[in-house]
Amino acid sequence: MAKINIATAPANSAVLPFYGTAALFFILLSILLLWRSPLLTNGYFDFHLLALVHLAVLGWLTMIIFGAGYQLLPVICERELHSETLAVISYLLLSAGIILLSSGFWVTPDLKGVFPLWGIIGGGLVFISSLLFVCNVILTTRICTSFNIQKAFILTSSIWLSATCLAGFLLAWNLRYPYISKSHLQLLKLHAHMGLAGWFLQLIIGVSAKLIPMFLLGKSNKTRLLISAYLFINIGIILFLVDGIFRSVASRAVIYLALVLTGIIFWTFYLRDVYNNRIKRPIDVTLRFSGLSFVNLCLTLLLLVLILVWRPAGQLQILYGTLAILGWISALALGMTFKTLPFIVWNGHYKHLNGKGRIPLPKELYLQWLVRLQWWFYIAALYGLLGGVLLQLETLIQIALIFLIATSISYGINVLYILQHKTSFIHATPTITPNA
Amino acid sequence: MQLQQSLQMHDPFFEQKALVIGALYDVIDPELFVNIVDLGLVYDIDFLPDNKILITMTLSTPHCPLGEAIQTGVKNRLLQEFADHQIDIEIVWEPAWSLEKISEEGRKMLGMPPRN
Repeated sequence: MAKINIATAPANSAVLPFYGTAALFFILLSILLLWRSPLLTNGYFDFHLLALVHLAVLGWLTMIIFGAGYQLLPVICERELHSETLAVISYLLLSAGIILLSSGFWVTPDLKGVFPLWGIIGGGLVFISSLLFVCNVILTTRICTSFNIQKAFILTSSIWLSATCLAGFLLAWNLRYPYISKSHLQLLKLHAHMGLAGWFLQLIIGVSAKLIPMFLLGKSNKTRLLISAYLFINIGIILFLVDGIFRSVASRAVIYLALVLTGIIFWTFYLRDVYNNRIKRPIDVTLRFSGLSFVNLCLTLLLLVLILVWRPAGQLQILYGTLAILGWISALALGMTFKTLPFIVWNGHYKHLNGKGRIPLPKELYLQWLVRLQWWFYIAALYGLLGGVLLQLETLIQIALIFLIATSISYGINVLYILQHKTSFIHATPTITPNA
Repeated sequence: MQLQQSLQMHDPFFEQKALVIGALYDVIDPELFVNIVDLGLVYDIDFLPDNKILITMTLSTPHCPLGEAIQTGVKNRLLQEFADHQIDIEIVWEPAWSLEKISEEGRKMLGMPPRN
Protein backbone atom coordinates (compact mmCIF):
# COMPACT_ATOMS: atom_id res chain seq x y z
CA MET A 1 0.00 0.00 0.00
CA ALA A 2 1.38 3.39 -0.93
CA LYS A 3 1.24 5.90 1.86
CA ILE A 4 0.50 9.55 1.15
CA ASN A 5 0.64 12.71 3.18
CA ILE A 6 -2.31 15.05 3.25
CA ALA A 7 -1.36 18.63 2.61
CA THR A 8 -3.05 21.02 4.99
CA ALA A 9 -5.12 23.87 3.60
CA PRO A 10 -3.63 27.38 3.95
CA ALA A 11 -4.73 29.56 6.85
CA ASN A 12 -8.04 31.32 6.32
CA SER A 13 -6.29 34.70 6.55
CA ALA A 14 -4.49 33.86 3.29
CA VAL A 15 -7.71 33.09 1.44
CA LEU A 16 -10.87 34.67 2.89
CA PRO A 17 -9.98 38.37 2.33
CA PHE A 18 -9.93 37.70 -1.42
CA TYR A 19 -13.54 36.43 -1.37
CA GLY A 20 -14.84 39.34 0.73
CA THR A 21 -13.05 41.96 -1.36
CA ALA A 22 -14.13 40.39 -4.65
CA ALA A 23 -17.78 40.55 -3.50
CA LEU A 24 -17.38 44.25 -2.63
CA PHE A 25 -15.81 45.04 -6.01
CA PHE A 26 -18.62 43.11 -7.75
CA ILE A 27 -21.27 45.24 -5.99
CA LEU A 28 -19.34 48.42 -6.80
CA LEU A 29 -19.01 47.32 -10.44
CA SER A 30 -22.72 46.69 -10.86
CA ILE A 31 -23.63 50.06 -9.30
CA LEU A 32 -21.12 51.95 -11.48
CA LEU A 33 -22.38 50.12 -14.56
CA LEU A 34 -25.92 51.33 -13.87
CA TRP A 35 -24.66 54.85 -13.21
CA ARG A 36 -22.80 54.90 -16.53
CA SER A 37 -25.13 52.62 -18.52
CA PRO A 38 -24.87 54.69 -21.75
CA LEU A 39 -21.30 53.35 -22.04
CA LEU A 40 -22.80 50.05 -23.15
CA THR A 41 -24.51 51.59 -26.16
CA ASN A 42 -21.73 53.94 -27.22
CA GLY A 43 -19.43 51.21 -28.49
CA TYR A 44 -16.16 53.10 -28.47
CA PHE A 45 -12.97 53.45 -26.44
CA ASP A 46 -13.77 55.28 -23.24
CA PHE A 47 -11.79 55.77 -20.01
CA HIS A 48 -14.83 55.04 -17.84
CA LEU A 49 -15.33 51.78 -19.70
CA LEU A 50 -11.64 50.94 -19.13
CA ALA A 51 -12.11 51.62 -15.41
CA LEU A 52 -15.13 49.30 -15.28
CA VAL A 53 -13.45 46.55 -17.30
CA HIS A 54 -10.42 46.58 -14.98
CA LEU A 55 -12.66 46.63 -11.94
CA ALA A 56 -14.40 43.55 -13.35
CA VAL A 57 -11.43 41.50 -14.53
CA LEU A 58 -9.09 42.41 -11.65
CA GLY A 59 -11.26 43.49 -8.73
CA TRP A 60 -14.00 40.93 -9.13
CA LEU A 61 -12.65 38.00 -11.15
CA THR A 62 -8.87 37.89 -10.60
CA MET A 63 -9.40 38.68 -6.91
CA ILE A 64 -11.67 35.68 -6.43
CA ILE A 65 -9.44 33.45 -8.56
CA PHE A 66 -6.43 34.35 -6.41
CA GLY A 67 -8.36 33.37 -3.26
CA ALA A 68 -9.68 30.13 -4.72
CA GLY A 69 -6.27 29.50 -6.30
CA TYR A 70 -4.39 29.69 -3.00
CA GLN A 71 -6.92 27.27 -1.52
CA LEU A 72 -6.87 24.87 -4.46
CA LEU A 73 -3.15 24.84 -5.26
CA PRO A 74 -2.45 22.33 -2.47
CA VAL A 75 -5.25 20.12 -3.85
CA ILE A 76 -3.99 20.31 -7.41
CA CYS A 77 -0.29 20.06 -6.55
CA GLU A 78 -0.73 17.58 -3.70
CA ARG A 79 1.50 19.61 -1.39
CA GLU A 80 1.13 22.58 0.91
CA LEU A 81 0.99 26.16 -0.38
CA HIS A 82 4.57 27.43 -0.54
CA SER A 83 4.01 30.73 1.28
CA GLU A 84 0.96 32.14 3.01
CA THR A 85 2.84 35.40 3.60
CA LEU A 86 3.30 35.90 -0.16
CA ALA A 87 -0.43 35.24 -0.56
CA VAL A 88 -1.32 37.95 1.97
CA ILE A 89 1.11 40.45 0.38
CA SER A 90 -0.30 39.70 -3.07
CA TYR A 91 -3.78 40.45 -1.69
CA LEU A 92 -2.71 43.84 -0.28
CA LEU A 93 -0.91 44.83 -3.49
CA LEU A 94 -3.73 43.64 -5.74
CA SER A 95 -6.37 45.52 -3.72
CA ALA A 96 -4.37 48.75 -3.62
CA GLY A 97 -3.39 48.36 -7.29
CA ILE A 98 -6.97 47.90 -8.48
CA ILE A 99 -8.24 50.94 -6.57
CA LEU A 100 -5.45 53.16 -7.94
CA LEU A 101 -5.61 51.84 -11.51
CA SER A 102 -9.40 51.91 -11.88
CA SER A 103 -9.76 55.31 -10.21
CA GLY A 104 -6.96 56.54 -12.49
CA PHE A 105 -8.95 55.54 -15.56
CA TRP A 106 -12.14 56.96 -14.04
CA VAL A 107 -10.77 60.46 -13.48
CA THR A 108 -8.77 60.72 -16.71
CA PRO A 109 -11.58 62.51 -18.62
CA ASP A 110 -11.72 65.08 -15.77
CA LEU A 111 -7.95 65.60 -16.09
CA LYS A 112 -8.36 66.53 -19.76
CA GLY A 113 -7.31 63.10 -20.93
CA VAL A 114 -4.06 62.92 -18.93
CA PHE A 115 -3.74 59.56 -17.21
CA PRO A 116 -2.69 60.25 -13.57
CA LEU A 117 0.60 58.98 -12.15
CA TRP A 118 -1.20 57.05 -9.39
CA GLY A 119 -2.93 55.01 -12.10
CA ILE A 120 0.48 53.89 -13.39
CA ILE A 121 1.57 53.07 -9.84
CA GLY A 122 -1.63 51.05 -9.46
CA GLY A 123 -0.78 49.11 -12.63
CA GLY A 124 2.70 48.46 -11.20
CA LEU A 125 1.26 47.14 -7.93
CA VAL A 126 -1.07 44.79 -9.82
CA PHE A 127 1.92 43.54 -11.82
CA ILE A 128 3.99 42.91 -8.66
CA SER A 129 1.01 41.11 -7.10
CA SER A 130 0.76 38.87 -10.15
CA LEU A 131 4.50 38.10 -9.89
CA LEU A 132 4.02 37.03 -6.26
CA PHE A 133 1.17 34.77 -7.38
CA VAL A 134 3.42 33.24 -10.06
CA CYS A 135 6.22 32.69 -7.49
CA ASN A 136 3.80 30.89 -5.17
CA VAL A 137 2.48 28.79 -8.05
CA ILE A 138 5.96 27.85 -9.28
CA LEU A 139 7.22 26.96 -5.82
CA THR A 140 4.06 25.03 -4.94
CA THR A 141 3.69 23.12 -8.20
CA ARG A 142 7.39 22.11 -8.44
CA ILE A 143 6.40 21.13 -11.92
CA CYS A 144 9.93 20.08 -12.88
CA THR A 145 9.98 17.26 -10.34
CA SER A 146 6.49 15.94 -10.97
CA PHE A 147 4.61 16.99 -14.09
CA ASN A 148 0.92 16.79 -14.63
CA ILE A 149 -1.14 18.66 -17.16
CA GLN A 150 -3.37 20.38 -14.58
CA LYS A 151 -0.27 21.91 -13.00
CA ALA A 152 0.99 22.96 -16.45
CA PHE A 153 -2.28 24.80 -17.13
CA ILE A 154 -2.24 26.60 -13.78
CA LEU A 155 1.41 27.57 -14.05
CA THR A 156 1.12 28.70 -17.66
CA SER A 157 -2.01 30.70 -16.93
CA SER A 158 -0.31 32.50 -14.05
CA ILE A 159 2.64 33.35 -16.32
CA TRP A 160 0.19 34.71 -18.90
CA LEU A 161 -1.41 36.77 -16.13
CA SER A 162 1.92 38.38 -15.32
CA ALA A 163 2.62 38.98 -18.99
CA THR A 164 -0.84 40.58 -19.32
CA CYS A 165 -0.23 42.79 -16.27
CA LEU A 166 3.19 43.81 -17.57
CA ALA A 167 1.70 44.69 -20.96
CA GLY A 168 -1.05 46.62 -19.17
CA PHE A 169 1.49 48.49 -17.07
CA LEU A 170 3.48 49.46 -20.20
CA LEU A 171 0.27 50.58 -21.91
CA ALA A 172 -0.69 52.65 -18.86
CA TRP A 173 2.74 54.28 -18.99
CA ASN A 174 2.18 54.96 -22.68
CA LEU A 175 -1.06 56.74 -21.88
CA ARG A 176 0.78 59.31 -19.78
CA TYR A 177 4.18 59.34 -21.49
CA PRO A 178 3.60 58.20 -25.09
CA TYR A 179 6.53 56.17 -26.39
CA ILE A 180 4.93 53.39 -28.43
CA SER A 181 4.58 54.10 -32.13
CA LYS A 182 2.00 51.35 -32.75
CA SER A 183 -1.72 52.00 -32.37
CA HIS A 184 -2.64 51.96 -28.67
CA LEU A 185 -6.02 50.40 -29.50
CA GLN A 186 -4.37 47.60 -31.46
CA LEU A 187 -2.10 46.80 -28.51
CA LEU A 188 -5.06 46.98 -26.16
CA LYS A 189 -6.66 44.11 -28.11
CA LEU A 190 -3.52 42.01 -27.68
CA HIS A 191 -3.43 42.85 -23.96
CA ALA A 192 -7.10 41.92 -23.53
CA HIS A 193 -6.83 38.58 -25.33
CA MET A 194 -3.63 37.68 -23.52
CA GLY A 195 -5.71 38.01 -20.37
CA LEU A 196 -8.83 36.25 -21.66
CA ALA A 197 -7.22 33.26 -23.40
CA GLY A 198 -3.89 33.12 -21.58
CA TRP A 199 -4.99 33.78 -18.00
CA PHE A 200 -8.72 33.12 -17.59
CA LEU A 201 -9.27 30.35 -20.14
CA GLN A 202 -6.24 28.28 -19.16
CA LEU A 203 -6.78 28.73 -15.46
CA ILE A 204 -10.40 27.62 -15.87
CA ILE A 205 -9.32 24.57 -17.90
CA GLY A 206 -6.63 23.59 -15.38
CA VAL A 207 -8.85 23.97 -12.33
CA SER A 208 -11.87 22.34 -14.00
CA ALA A 209 -9.78 19.34 -15.03
CA LYS A 210 -9.11 18.71 -11.34
CA LEU A 211 -12.30 19.92 -9.67
CA ILE A 212 -15.08 18.76 -12.00
CA PRO A 213 -14.10 15.07 -11.55
CA MET A 214 -13.99 15.78 -7.78
CA PHE A 215 -17.41 17.40 -7.64
CA LEU A 216 -19.12 14.91 -9.96
CA LEU A 217 -17.16 11.93 -8.63
CA GLY A 218 -16.35 11.20 -12.23
CA LYS A 219 -13.10 10.35 -13.89
CA SER A 220 -11.34 10.33 -17.23
CA ASN A 221 -8.08 8.76 -18.23
CA LYS A 222 -7.95 10.74 -21.44
CA THR A 223 -5.16 13.08 -20.35
CA ARG A 224 -4.02 13.33 -23.96
CA LEU A 225 -7.08 15.45 -24.66
CA LEU A 226 -5.88 17.99 -22.08
CA ILE A 227 -2.32 17.94 -23.41
CA SER A 228 -3.66 18.61 -26.93
CA ALA A 229 -5.84 21.43 -25.56
CA TYR A 230 -2.79 22.93 -23.84
CA LEU A 231 -0.67 22.86 -26.99
CA PHE A 232 -3.31 24.22 -29.36
CA ILE A 233 -4.35 27.06 -27.06
CA ASN A 234 -0.82 28.23 -26.30
CA ILE A 235 0.36 27.98 -29.89
CA GLY A 236 -2.72 29.97 -30.92
CA ILE A 237 -2.08 32.72 -28.37
CA ILE A 238 1.66 32.97 -29.07
CA LEU A 239 1.17 33.22 -32.85
CA PHE A 240 -1.59 35.79 -32.33
CA LEU A 241 0.68 37.93 -30.16
CA VAL A 242 3.83 37.64 -32.28
CA ASP A 243 1.86 38.50 -35.40
CA GLY A 244 0.06 41.32 -33.60
CA ILE A 245 3.23 42.88 -32.23
CA PHE A 246 5.31 42.73 -35.40
CA ARG A 247 2.62 43.03 -38.04
CA SER A 248 -1.16 43.35 -37.85
CA VAL A 249 -3.29 40.38 -36.92
CA ALA A 250 -6.42 41.50 -38.70
CA SER A 251 -6.42 39.05 -41.60
CA ARG A 252 -4.93 36.05 -39.83
CA ALA A 253 -6.76 36.29 -36.51
CA VAL A 254 -9.27 33.66 -37.69
CA ILE A 255 -6.43 31.12 -37.99
CA TYR A 256 -5.23 31.79 -34.44
CA LEU A 257 -8.79 31.66 -33.15
CA ALA A 258 -9.23 28.30 -34.92
CA LEU A 259 -6.19 26.96 -33.03
CA VAL A 260 -7.58 28.13 -29.67
CA LEU A 261 -11.02 26.75 -30.59
CA THR A 262 -9.49 23.37 -31.37
CA GLY A 263 -7.92 23.39 -27.93
CA ILE A 264 -11.28 24.23 -26.34
CA ILE A 265 -12.92 21.36 -28.25
CA PHE A 266 -10.32 18.91 -26.84
CA TRP A 267 -11.07 20.21 -23.33
CA THR A 268 -14.80 19.80 -23.98
CA PHE A 269 -14.26 16.16 -24.98
CA TYR A 270 -12.36 15.61 -21.74
CA LEU A 271 -15.19 17.13 -19.67
CA ARG A 272 -17.73 15.04 -21.56
CA ASP A 273 -15.77 11.91 -20.70
CA VAL A 274 -15.76 12.90 -17.01
CA TYR A 275 -19.48 13.67 -17.15
CA ASN A 276 -20.27 10.31 -18.74
CA ASN A 277 -18.28 8.51 -16.03
CA ARG A 278 -19.73 10.32 -13.06
CA ILE A 279 -21.99 9.27 -10.23
CA LYS A 280 -25.37 10.27 -11.50
CA ARG A 281 -26.20 12.70 -8.74
CA PRO A 282 -28.63 15.58 -9.24
CA ILE A 283 -26.81 18.73 -10.42
CA ASP A 284 -27.28 21.45 -7.79
CA VAL A 285 -27.68 25.15 -8.49
CA THR A 286 -23.97 25.89 -7.93
CA LEU A 287 -23.03 23.48 -10.70
CA ARG A 288 -25.80 24.90 -12.88
CA PHE A 289 -23.80 28.15 -12.89
CA SER A 290 -20.83 26.20 -14.31
CA GLY A 291 -23.03 24.74 -17.04
CA LEU A 292 -24.34 28.20 -17.89
CA SER A 293 -20.78 29.51 -17.95
CA PHE A 294 -19.89 26.91 -20.56
CA VAL A 295 -22.89 27.90 -22.70
CA ASN A 296 -21.78 31.53 -22.39
CA LEU A 297 -18.24 30.58 -23.44
CA CYS A 298 -19.63 28.95 -26.59
CA LEU A 299 -21.70 32.07 -27.34
CA THR A 300 -18.64 34.26 -26.74
CA LEU A 301 -16.59 32.25 -29.22
CA LEU A 302 -19.38 32.27 -31.77
CA LEU A 303 -19.60 36.03 -31.46
CA LEU A 304 -15.83 36.35 -31.85
CA VAL A 305 -15.97 34.37 -35.10
CA LEU A 306 -18.75 36.68 -36.31
CA ILE A 307 -16.74 39.78 -35.40
CA LEU A 308 -13.61 38.50 -37.17
CA VAL A 309 -15.44 37.44 -40.32
CA TRP A 310 -18.01 40.20 -40.52
CA ARG A 311 -16.01 43.09 -38.99
CA PRO A 312 -19.00 45.07 -37.71
CA ALA A 313 -18.99 48.36 -35.81
CA GLY A 314 -18.16 48.64 -32.11
CA GLN A 315 -21.51 47.47 -30.72
CA LEU A 316 -20.82 43.76 -31.23
CA GLN A 317 -17.46 44.23 -29.53
CA ILE A 318 -19.21 45.60 -26.44
CA LEU A 319 -21.51 42.57 -26.61
CA TYR A 320 -18.46 40.29 -26.89
CA GLY A 321 -16.78 41.85 -23.84
CA THR A 322 -20.01 41.72 -21.82
CA LEU A 323 -20.58 38.08 -22.67
CA ALA A 324 -16.99 37.08 -21.88
CA ILE A 325 -16.66 38.97 -18.58
CA LEU A 326 -20.19 39.02 -17.16
CA GLY A 327 -21.35 35.83 -18.86
CA TRP A 328 -18.63 33.23 -19.16
CA ILE A 329 -16.22 34.02 -16.28
CA SER A 330 -18.67 35.64 -13.84
CA ALA A 331 -21.14 32.74 -14.03
CA LEU A 332 -18.35 30.40 -13.05
CA ALA A 333 -17.25 32.63 -10.16
CA LEU A 334 -20.84 33.02 -8.90
CA GLY A 335 -21.33 29.26 -8.69
CA MET A 336 -17.87 28.10 -7.67
CA THR A 337 -17.83 30.47 -4.68
CA PHE A 338 -20.37 28.19 -3.02
CA LYS A 339 -18.36 25.11 -3.91
CA THR A 340 -15.24 26.47 -2.23
CA LEU A 341 -15.91 29.19 0.36
CA PRO A 342 -18.29 27.19 2.64
CA PHE A 343 -15.77 24.34 2.72
CA ILE A 344 -12.91 26.69 3.63
CA VAL A 345 -14.92 28.24 6.47
CA TRP A 346 -16.31 24.84 7.55
CA ASN A 347 -12.75 23.49 7.80
CA GLY A 348 -11.79 26.41 10.03
CA HIS A 349 -14.76 25.96 12.38
CA TYR A 350 -15.40 22.24 12.42
CA LYS A 351 -12.31 20.28 11.35
CA HIS A 352 -11.35 19.64 14.98
CA LEU A 353 -14.97 19.03 16.08
CA ASN A 354 -15.83 16.49 13.41
CA GLY A 355 -16.92 13.20 15.01
CA LYS A 356 -17.46 14.75 18.45
CA GLY A 357 -21.10 15.67 18.04
CA ARG A 358 -23.67 17.28 15.78
CA ILE A 359 -22.19 19.90 13.46
CA PRO A 360 -23.60 21.59 10.37
CA LEU A 361 -22.60 20.46 6.89
CA PRO A 362 -20.68 22.86 4.62
CA LYS A 363 -23.78 23.35 2.46
CA GLU A 364 -25.63 24.58 5.56
CA LEU A 365 -23.18 27.47 5.98
CA TYR A 366 -24.83 29.56 3.26
CA LEU A 367 -28.38 30.57 2.41
CA GLN A 368 -29.27 28.09 -0.29
CA TRP A 369 -32.56 29.82 -1.10
CA LEU A 370 -30.61 33.02 -1.76
CA VAL A 371 -28.32 31.24 -4.24
CA ARG A 372 -31.41 30.00 -6.07
CA LEU A 373 -32.75 33.57 -6.11
CA GLN A 374 -29.33 34.82 -7.22
CA TRP A 375 -29.54 32.40 -10.15
CA TRP A 376 -32.75 34.01 -11.45
CA PHE A 377 -31.48 37.56 -10.82
CA TYR A 378 -28.37 36.69 -12.79
CA ILE A 379 -30.26 35.11 -15.70
CA ALA A 380 -32.47 38.23 -15.94
CA ALA A 381 -29.44 40.53 -15.64
CA LEU A 382 -27.19 38.81 -18.16
CA TYR A 383 -29.65 38.07 -20.93
CA GLY A 384 -31.45 41.38 -20.46
CA LEU A 385 -28.10 43.11 -20.75
CA LEU A 386 -27.08 41.17 -23.84
CA GLY A 387 -30.45 41.89 -25.47
CA GLY A 388 -30.20 45.57 -24.53
CA VAL A 389 -26.65 45.93 -25.87
CA LEU A 390 -27.49 44.08 -29.09
CA LEU A 391 -30.66 46.07 -29.77
CA GLN A 392 -29.24 49.28 -28.23
CA LEU A 393 -32.20 49.61 -25.86
CA GLU A 394 -31.11 51.89 -23.04
CA THR A 395 -34.17 51.08 -20.87
CA LEU A 396 -33.67 47.33 -21.16
CA ILE A 397 -29.99 47.76 -20.24
CA GLN A 398 -30.95 49.77 -17.15
CA ILE A 399 -33.52 47.17 -16.02
CA ALA A 400 -30.97 44.42 -16.57
CA LEU A 401 -28.37 46.35 -14.56
CA ILE A 402 -30.82 46.67 -11.66
CA PHE A 403 -31.02 42.87 -11.75
CA LEU A 404 -27.21 42.77 -11.83
CA ILE A 405 -27.13 44.90 -8.67
CA ALA A 406 -29.64 42.47 -7.12
CA THR A 407 -27.35 39.60 -8.16
CA SER A 408 -24.27 41.20 -6.67
CA ILE A 409 -26.03 42.16 -3.43
CA SER A 410 -27.55 38.70 -2.93
CA TYR A 411 -24.12 37.23 -3.66
CA GLY A 412 -22.47 39.68 -1.25
CA ILE A 413 -24.99 38.91 1.51
CA ASN A 414 -24.29 35.19 1.17
CA VAL A 415 -20.51 35.71 1.20
CA LEU A 416 -20.86 37.85 4.31
CA TYR A 417 -23.18 35.24 5.85
CA ILE A 418 -20.52 32.57 5.35
CA LEU A 419 -17.66 34.75 6.58
CA GLN A 420 -19.65 35.72 9.70
CA HIS A 421 -20.49 32.11 10.56
CA LYS A 422 -20.34 31.24 14.27
CA THR A 423 -19.47 27.74 15.40
CA SER A 424 -22.55 25.68 16.22
CA PHE A 425 -21.90 22.41 18.01
CA ILE A 426 -24.02 19.98 20.00
CA HIS A 427 -21.94 17.55 22.01
CA ALA A 428 -22.98 13.96 21.50
CA THR A 429 -22.84 11.08 23.96
CA PRO A 430 -21.32 7.96 22.46
CA THR A 431 -23.92 5.79 20.77
CA ILE A 432 -23.24 2.99 18.40
CA THR A 433 -25.85 2.68 15.70
CA PRO A 434 -24.43 0.47 13.00
CA ASN A 435 -26.64 0.26 9.95
CA ALA A 436 -24.83 -2.74 8.54
CA MET B 1 -14.89 -6.85 -0.17
CA GLN B 2 -16.81 -4.60 2.22
CA LEU B 3 -15.18 -3.91 5.57
CA GLN B 4 -17.92 -5.53 7.67
CA GLN B 5 -17.87 -8.63 5.46
CA SER B 6 -14.14 -9.02 6.03
CA LEU B 7 -14.71 -9.23 9.78
CA GLN B 8 -14.29 -12.85 10.91
CA MET B 9 -16.05 -14.39 13.92
CA HIS B 10 -12.85 -16.10 15.02
CA ASP B 11 -10.95 -12.81 15.03
CA PRO B 12 -9.79 -12.31 18.67
CA PHE B 13 -10.82 -8.64 18.36
CA PHE B 14 -14.16 -9.37 16.71
CA GLU B 15 -16.27 -7.44 19.20
CA GLN B 16 -13.97 -4.44 19.36
CA LYS B 17 -13.70 -4.25 15.58
CA ALA B 18 -17.48 -4.41 15.25
CA LEU B 19 -17.64 -1.51 17.71
CA VAL B 20 -15.10 0.44 15.61
CA ILE B 21 -17.07 -0.15 12.43
CA GLY B 22 -20.23 0.94 14.18
CA ALA B 23 -18.55 4.15 15.33
CA LEU B 24 -17.14 4.87 11.89
CA TYR B 25 -20.65 4.84 10.46
CA ASP B 26 -21.05 8.16 12.30
CA VAL B 27 -18.16 9.79 10.41
CA ILE B 28 -19.42 11.31 7.21
CA ASP B 29 -17.75 12.80 4.16
CA PRO B 30 -18.95 16.43 4.42
CA GLU B 31 -19.09 16.84 0.64
CA LEU B 32 -20.96 13.65 -0.19
CA PHE B 33 -23.03 13.41 3.04
CA VAL B 34 -22.38 9.66 3.20
CA ASN B 35 -20.51 7.85 5.98
CA ILE B 36 -16.97 6.70 5.27
CA VAL B 37 -17.76 3.00 5.78
CA ASP B 38 -20.45 2.92 3.11
CA LEU B 39 -18.21 4.99 0.85
CA GLY B 40 -15.63 2.21 1.14
CA LEU B 41 -12.90 4.55 2.39
CA VAL B 42 -11.92 2.35 5.36
CA TYR B 43 -9.70 -0.53 4.30
CA ASP B 44 -8.59 -2.16 7.54
CA ILE B 45 -8.79 -2.04 11.34
CA ASP B 46 -6.00 -3.41 13.52
CA PHE B 47 -5.75 -3.68 17.27
CA LEU B 48 -2.04 -3.40 18.09
CA PRO B 49 -0.09 -3.85 21.32
CA ASP B 50 0.07 -0.93 23.78
CA ASN B 51 -3.62 -0.14 23.30
CA LYS B 52 -3.24 1.15 19.78
CA ILE B 53 -5.87 1.05 17.07
CA LEU B 54 -4.64 1.45 13.50
CA ILE B 55 -7.17 2.50 10.89
CA THR B 56 -5.98 2.05 7.32
CA MET B 57 -8.05 4.15 5.00
CA THR B 58 -8.04 6.23 1.85
CA LEU B 59 -9.78 9.34 0.50
CA SER B 60 -12.02 9.74 -2.53
CA THR B 61 -9.66 12.39 -3.94
CA PRO B 62 -5.92 12.84 -3.41
CA HIS B 63 -5.29 15.83 -1.17
CA CYS B 64 -9.00 16.29 -0.66
CA PRO B 65 -9.40 19.65 1.17
CA LEU B 66 -11.60 17.85 3.70
CA GLY B 67 -9.15 14.99 4.21
CA GLU B 68 -7.86 16.35 7.49
CA ALA B 69 -11.39 16.88 8.79
CA ILE B 70 -12.33 13.29 7.94
CA GLN B 71 -9.24 11.97 9.74
CA THR B 72 -10.02 14.10 12.79
CA GLY B 73 -13.60 12.81 12.65
CA VAL B 74 -12.32 9.22 12.78
CA LYS B 75 -10.05 9.97 15.74
CA ASN B 76 -12.65 11.95 17.69
CA ARG B 77 -15.39 9.37 17.16
CA LEU B 78 -13.18 6.40 18.09
CA LEU B 79 -11.85 8.17 21.19
CA GLN B 80 -15.44 8.43 22.41
CA GLU B 81 -15.64 4.62 22.39
CA PHE B 82 -12.01 3.77 23.16
CA ALA B 83 -10.87 6.59 25.43
CA ASP B 84 -7.91 4.60 26.74
CA HIS B 85 -6.57 3.81 23.25
CA GLN B 86 -4.27 5.64 20.90
CA ILE B 87 -5.85 6.02 17.48
CA ASP B 88 -3.46 5.94 14.52
CA ILE B 89 -4.59 6.54 10.95
CA GLU B 90 -2.65 5.50 7.92
CA ILE B 91 -3.81 7.08 4.69
CA VAL B 92 -2.96 4.87 1.73
CA TRP B 93 -3.28 5.36 -1.94
CA GLU B 94 -3.23 1.78 -3.10
CA PRO B 95 -5.50 0.12 -3.79
CA ALA B 96 -6.98 3.28 -5.27
CA TRP B 97 -10.51 4.13 -4.22
CA SER B 98 -13.11 3.75 -6.94
CA LEU B 99 -16.87 3.84 -7.25
CA GLU B 100 -16.84 0.05 -7.02
CA LYS B 101 -15.92 0.33 -3.33
CA ILE B 102 -19.19 2.03 -2.40
CA SER B 103 -21.63 -0.29 -0.62
CA GLU B 104 -25.17 -0.91 -1.83
CA GLU B 105 -26.39 1.33 1.00
CA GLY B 106 -23.94 4.04 -0.05
CA ARG B 107 -25.04 3.77 -3.67
CA LYS B 108 -28.62 4.24 -2.54
CA MET B 109 -27.67 7.32 -0.50
CA LEU B 110 -25.84 8.80 -3.50
CA GLY B 111 -28.76 8.10 -5.83
CA MET B 112 -26.75 5.56 -7.85
CA PRO B 113 -28.45 2.55 -9.45
CA PRO B 114 -27.93 -0.78 -7.59
CA ARG B 115 -25.31 -3.23 -8.85
CA ASN B 116 -26.57 -5.94 -11.17
